[in-house]
Amino acid sequence: MSEFLFKYPWALFSKGSFVLDSHWPVWLLVSLIAAGAGALAWFILSRARPGMRGLRPAILWLFDSSLLALLLFLLWDPAISVATLRQQENIVAVVVDDSRSMGQADDRVGQERRLLESPAFKALGKKFQVRMYRMGASAEPLGNAADLKARDGATHIAAALEQVVRQTATLPVGGIVLLSDGADNSGGIDLDTMNELRRRRIPVHAIGFGPEHPSQDVELTDLQFPASTLANSRVRALVGLRQFGFAGRQVKLTVRDGETTLATREVALAGDGADQSEPIVFNAGAEGVRNVEIAVQPLGGEQNAANNKLTRVMYVDAAPRRVLFVEGEPRWEYKFIRRAVEDDKTLQLVSMLRTTENKIYRQGVANADELKDGFPSRVEDLFEYKALIIGSVEAGWFTTTQAEMIRQFVDRRGGGLLFLGGRWALADGGYDRPPFNDLLPVNLPPKHGTFFRDPAYPQLTPAGRDSLLCRIDDDPDHNMQRWKALPYLANYQEIGQTKPGATLLAQMQVDGRGTLPLLATENYGRGRTAVFATAGSWRWQMLQPLADMSHEIFWRQMLRWLVTETPSRVTASTPHAVLYDDGAVKLRAEVRDTTYLPTSDAQVSARIIAPDGHEETVDLRPDAIQTGVYTGEWNAPKPGSYIADITARRGQQDLGKDVVTFRREDGVAENFHLYQNRDLLEKLAADTGGKYWKPAEVSRLPEDIAWSEAGISVRETHDLWDAPIMFLLALALRSGGWLLRRRWGAV
Amino acid sequence: MHFRGVVFAVPAALVLVSSLLAVQRPGQVYPDHFQVYPGVEYTNFPLPPEWRGQNAEWTFARIMYPAVVWYPRWTMDYPRSDRHLSAAISRLTRIDARPVEQPVSLDTDAFRNFPWVYAVEVGYWNLTDAECARLRDHLLHGGFLMVDDFHGTREWEIFMQSMSRVFPDRPVVEIPDDDPIFHTVYDLDHRYQVPGAQFMETGKTYEHDGYEPEWRGIRDDKGRIMVAMCHNMDLGDSWEHADNPQYPEKFSALGMRIGVDYLVYAMTH
Repeated sequence: MSEFLFKYPWALFSKGSFVLDSHWPVWLLVSLIAAGAGALAWFILSRARPGMRGLRPAILWLFDSSLLALLLFLLWDPAISVATLRQQENIVAVVVDDSRSMGQADDRVGQERRLLESPAFKALGKKFQVRMYRMGASAEPLGNAADLKARDGATHIAAALEQVVRQTATLPVGGIVLLSDGADNSGGIDLDTMNELRRRRIPVHAIGFGPEHPSQDVELTDLQFPASTLANSRVRALVGLRQFGFAGRQVKLTVRDGETTLATREVALAGDGADQSEPIVFNAGAEGVRNVEIAVQPLGGEQNAANNKLTRVMYVDAAPRRVLFVEGEPRWEYKFIRRAVEDDKTLQLVSMLRTTENKIYRQGVANADELKDGFPSRVEDLFEYKALIIGSVEAGWFTTTQAEMIRQFVDRRGGGLLFLGGRWALADGGYDRPPFNDLLPVNLPPKHGTFFRDPAYPQLTPAGRDSLLCRIDDDPDHNMQRWKALPYLANYQEIGQTKPGATLLAQMQVDGRGTLPLLATENYGRGRTAVFATAGSWRWQMLQPLADMSHEIFWRQMLRWLVTETPSRVTASTPHAVLYDDGAVKLRAEVRDTTYLPTSDAQVSARIIAPDGHEETVDLRPDAIQTGVYTGEWNAPKPGSYIADITARRGQQDLGKDVVTFRREDGVAENFHLYQNRDLLEKLAADTGGKYWKPAEVSRLPEDIAWSEAGISVRETHDLWDAPIMFLLALALRSGGWLLRRRWGAV
Repeated sequence: MHFRGVVFAVPAALVLVSSLLAVQRPGQVYPDHFQVYPGVEYTNFPLPPEWRGQNAEWTFARIMYPAVVWYPRWTMDYPRSDRHLSAAISRLTRIDARPVEQPVSLDTDAFRNFPWVYAVEVGYWNLTDAECARLRDHLLHGGFLMVDDFHGTREWEIFMQSMSRVFPDRPVVEIPDDDPIFHTVYDLDHRYQVPGAQFMETGKTYEHDGYEPEWRGIRDDKGRIMVAMCHNMDLGDSWEHADNPQYPEKFSALGMRIGVDYLVYAMTH
């Protein structure tokens, strides 16, 4: 209908630009419209009859003036100017999905074959030179539609498009027609490919196949947890779920490492098609590479049970992390924190305690020289630790240099910093001044006398309920019960309010004073800081049954939170920890010197250990743009888990090492996203100037695809003066004015 | 202790009456449940002027134990020695010490608030099985017990009759000179016998057959000392008489230093 009224399809209007094709100047059009409107106003007012009162003359004038303006506008020859591909001089690339997901019971590959032999595609061939490609993990030339077998184990749309664009770099490509279900398993369309398509102005017209959702299926859509963690630490995994046909049903999530079940959890499924994210906590176990599989039990009637489990690889590191604890006075909290973490082999608590005004008692030191001169005065010495705990010690005890080093320890080195309450801590210790007030996740009250030796009852906030730091029991409900059962704290400190961006994990109830913040955290620079506004948690140890481990677990969690994400001098990563059907892996290492400044003169290499134990060494090269960043590429030849041991040296100096793990999985990706990913196809088409099509609607494709600036094109002008809408509009204005005149007795 | 024998002989009846009154009318109750009990030696010792009822990080917690004799041996030196040591702790260290002591009973869980506990004249104590269990639990949680002022073979045997029920399976060991407990603040490699107040009359540093000082202890599974035993010495008197010109300074000095080292050890290990 709209095409009848406007003479041309909407696609033409969206791709073209409006022009007035007359040689007469536009100012003349505007002047004539203005003059005509004025003349009409004089004419209507001068011949007004008694019935013409109020707004009626103005309304009639509006009708008449609009009609006059329309007629003058048509005299100026309105038109749409659009770039149009020249026939048989341009190439259209037809990329056809030949992955296994196209071989579903709904016969998507059959639909593709039929479509390629349809009149629309024959018309396409008459207008353009058509090059056909079959798409899987990459793009390959396709000779005949009958060659489509739906056998490829992966769909990498971005890689295929990038390959097509690269192979036709010197050719006039007018557009790309993509036939696919959009079930991409490479993580989406990357920015580089999109930028290249946009640079060459190549529109991608996507034709979607397959149902947009199944009738009955549960699918794991995502699985996220840290790539590496400390041995025996709690890991919080986020599992993405999507289901159709089982809304409200209970399913069991199970975390396994081989045959060992690490955790289970019952979850209720959300509504059809809703993206659901469920946390599940499990213990990382001992040192080594963990192939963590998360599965949801298949339900009766599921169309596809192969998408009910996901496997990711995680590296569990047992290397001890050193934490420096600076305490200004002997306190029970000091002793019980030391005792709480002493059995945790991944933590080494090094402490220095001011027992008297001029004596420091050291514990946990590696040798007689460590900390013998007091708090470190060199950056290199302080940065050897992963985290720092500041107890009841006055801020003024640190020199200005040391205070700035502490700030850099968090900001540049990425360390964890914990402030404890105490009579010489926080506001009472002068920490309300720079740089410490910058580091704190709270705005300290500007006063002294904030430390009280009165009972305070801890309670978790909603954020604390979800935080691993506060998890003293794996089960969230039991965890809440255990927090409620904790004995009261022996003392507390006022710490003001949390800063914007900080997270309040726990509060405390104080008789007569209401609720005060107890535990708050925030990220600062590359590191993280926390404040625990008490020194009385030792009562959790002394006043609970001997078998109760709440106090130990809390402090181990706290110290692990402080150190787990503290980077080493060498930090390795890979953008894709799971490689689906393609072994190409990119390795990246960030290397810093002993003062944690980026360094670009290091020798960085990766020793990669394959699943069969075979080793290979790859050198990483400095990045041309980013200082301290080294990159390299390698190809994982076989499925399985790989370990890359990345080391950095500068001359004879060992700068450090890090481990990154990745896993190659072949033939797994196509079990997921079996229904049409219309969102991806629509977005790809819209972002490149193309259009999303349903197979039944492609008859206009040859015409639409011609309006493109991509290849060899000419500008064509399409007149609008004879569009039916113009005639109807003129008729409506004239008859409307006449009818009103009749009604109001003007004629 | 000879000097005490004189004291007991005369006012024994008065002590009994005072104890009964303490039960019926529990004496003077101060904020935070601070309570003064009538002692064997002192019945009206003045409160230190700096005491305002405030809580502190550390409090001298004295165990009120049942004894093999009818009068309360746990109050020996009390409260004078307690307050002298508390003052010394405040002066010599950065510990926030309460100026006054806290007598604690093993019959309730209230003593769990005091990880450091002290018992005097344990050569006369006679703990019940329930008290032994509570004390064991307290120590295994991380508490620390210092026992003092018991002398010779017989008092050691009486002490062990209760102590062996607290820890039937843990041996009593000698604490070597290089143990951290003697080096937390002061390096106390060279120690000597610290006598009680009877030294001022007799010039003897020992009592009964306790000729040599014995530094013993019971360790936990990680080798930390849970029970520190000062056998054949009287540190309590060295604290009590720290302001007595008749009592030699060198004994009070060592007694105080041992008290400081033991306390800092208890707060760090």
